[in-house]
Amino acid sequence: MTAVLCIGITSCFKEEPLNAECDIEKAWIHYENPQESTWNLSDTVIKVYSAENTIIFKVRPGTDRTRLAPMFITTEGATIVPESGTMHDFSNGPLAYTVTSQDKDWQRIYNVAFTEEHRTVRDTIAYDFERVFLFTDPQTKKQYYKWSDLKEDGTEANNWASGNGGFSMASPSAKADEYPTTPNADGYDGKCVKLTTTKTGPLGQGARMPMAAGNLFLGSFITQTALIDALRSTHFGLPFDKKPVRFTGYYKYFPGEKFQDRYGNIEEGRVDKGAIYAILYKNHDNDGNPVVLYGDNVQTSEQIVAKAIMPEVRPTSEWTEFDLSFDYYENEIDMEDINNFKYSLAIVFSSSDQGAYFQGAIGSTLYIDKVKIICEKTK
Amino acid sequence: MIRNIIKGLILTFLCIPANAENMLSGWKYTARFGYNIGGTAPIGMPATIRSMNKYKMQPNFSLGVDAQKVITGKWGILTGIHTESKGMEVDATVKNYHMVMTKGGDELEGYYTGNLVTECEEWMLTLPVMATYDISDKVRLKLGPYISYVSTRVFKGYVYDGYLRRMTPTGEKIEIGNTEESRGSYDFSDNMRHIQYGVDAGVDWQFSTRWGAYADIQWGVTGIHKSSFKTIEQTLFPIFGTLGITYYLK
Repeated sequence: MTAVLCIGITSCFKEEPLNAECDIEKAWIHYENPQESTWNLSDTVIKVYSAENTIIFKVRPGTDRTRLAPMFITTEGATIVPESGTMHDFSNGPLAYTVTSQDKDWQRIYNVAFTEEHRTVRDTIAYDFERVFLFTDPQTKKQYYKWSDLKEDGTEANNWASGNGGFSMASPSAKADEYPTTPNADGYDGKCVKLTTTKTGPLGQGARMPMAAGNLFLGSFITQTALIDALRSTHFGLPFDKKPVRFTGYYKYFPGEKFQDRYGNIEEGRVDKGAIYAILYKNHDNDGNPVVLYGDNVQTSEQIVAKAIMPEVRPTSEWTEFDLSFDYYENEIDMEDINNFKYSLAIVFSSSDQGAYFQGAIGSTLYIDKVKIICEKTK
Repeated sequence: MIRNIIKGLILTFLCIPANAENMLSGWKYTARFGYNIGGTAPIGMPATIRSMNKYKMQPNFSLGVDAQKVITGKWGILTGIHTESKGMEVDATVKNYHMVMTKGGDELEGYYTGNLVTECEEWMLTLPVMATYDISDKVRLKLGPYISYVSTRVFKGYVYDGYLRRMTPTGEKIEIGNTEESRGSYDFSDNMRHIQYGVDAGVDWQFSTRWGAYADIQWGVTGIHKSSFKTIEQTLFPIFGTLGITYYLK
């Protein structure tokens, strides 16, 4: 009888529906003189994550952007207009590409740009956290905060990332101000960032992610992999072309009451600690493959060349200055590589230093403001 | 059409008492013990359901007592009360399947591609009202409507090894793993109906004075969920076959 039923059901299966997705999964560009057009050859290939709709190829200043033919891999069966591999003028700004799904029912528009990556001029890079935006997810309409500084040329750096995107999955009903990473008006000067270790909603609890530490870091957060591999969702670091010497700023810290592990077990007597650190690392391995650091190796990777780690972020209710020196592993770092964006800088703040492993005290709060990276003076 | 047949049958039975001289005499009682095999499934499989990886048998027992009475010649009427379970556990592969993962009031909605496990458990009391026709001394055909009161309602499951696109197929992708932590679960038990009805067609075979066997098909015409429930786009109908033995009581 079961067999009959199974055959009955199996015979009902219809033909496979056409794909409804219409993503650009990968983009790449071939330059006639790659060495002269890019700082790094790896900048010619971009893996595009599902949430992104902007694709930016970084080029050296002065590169001819009038005749470029970027190529794209899209979802199977999807079509793209203008076609992949066709020549266009990108010198006047981004060009919109429209991808249509195989079933023709869905479309996505991507902006593809070739932007000049200028060398940093200033010797001190200041981060004041005044440029904060309320981001609205176009699909879910969920709102949470994002931060972005301006580059020296006045364009958006989109440099700061947080786990807020992951929290929107773990606690879909949370309001923007209830997220772990939020702005706060009572900064040391103007606005500051408030990082709070926050209890997640029932979905997060079910996924054994009972809390989300407030965090903010230079890099990107990939929500796509947050459920399957949270540690690999935090991509720490962005290319940096100066030799950093000191890492300074102001903080306040209030640890939460009860330290608990991933399974909700309370560890009596353990006091939560915040995290404040900066890491400089080589962003390519010996074979030339691009490297980013993740939650599980940001302080241990062999790519690291210098660290400025605050040994212990202790409770303090007043704005307290921190001033950390970069501790270099090698006496000499390759200045030519520095000048070619072959190192990346990760600045990381977290309200619970074990937050990546979902351990900490709910309610732990770290305030951060007026952060500076002071670099070796360049003549 | 099925609804019309049921209406016709009900009307027929309502008319019978007026013609019968004494409805209370002449009833024969039979105990039944059977096993239900089947599933709750959409009629006409949507293209988004690609394949069935696993079907797990459930303890779907049916126990009941029927009363049957000859009305005229070979025709008769049968009714009774059965306590029974119609459960299933199915592991299927789906593509771009509308899903809402739920937990404690929080929801993640979107289109899911990957593996989907559904566990359904329904314990119910069923009242059939059937016309009977004896094609021989030993073999009797039965056809008629049934109504069930579902007391235990469970419809839940999880997704694994796949991904969800939030809200639409162009929404953010969320990869789903195969560990207890990285799966997404759902539970639509509270959206299930208490009352189900449908059509039962079957055959009884009396092979000794006391003992017999039976086979029925119960085709639900109500979905297992309330009609206001739209998360699963297709209405899922309970369709179960029963095989069992009968024991003539008196």
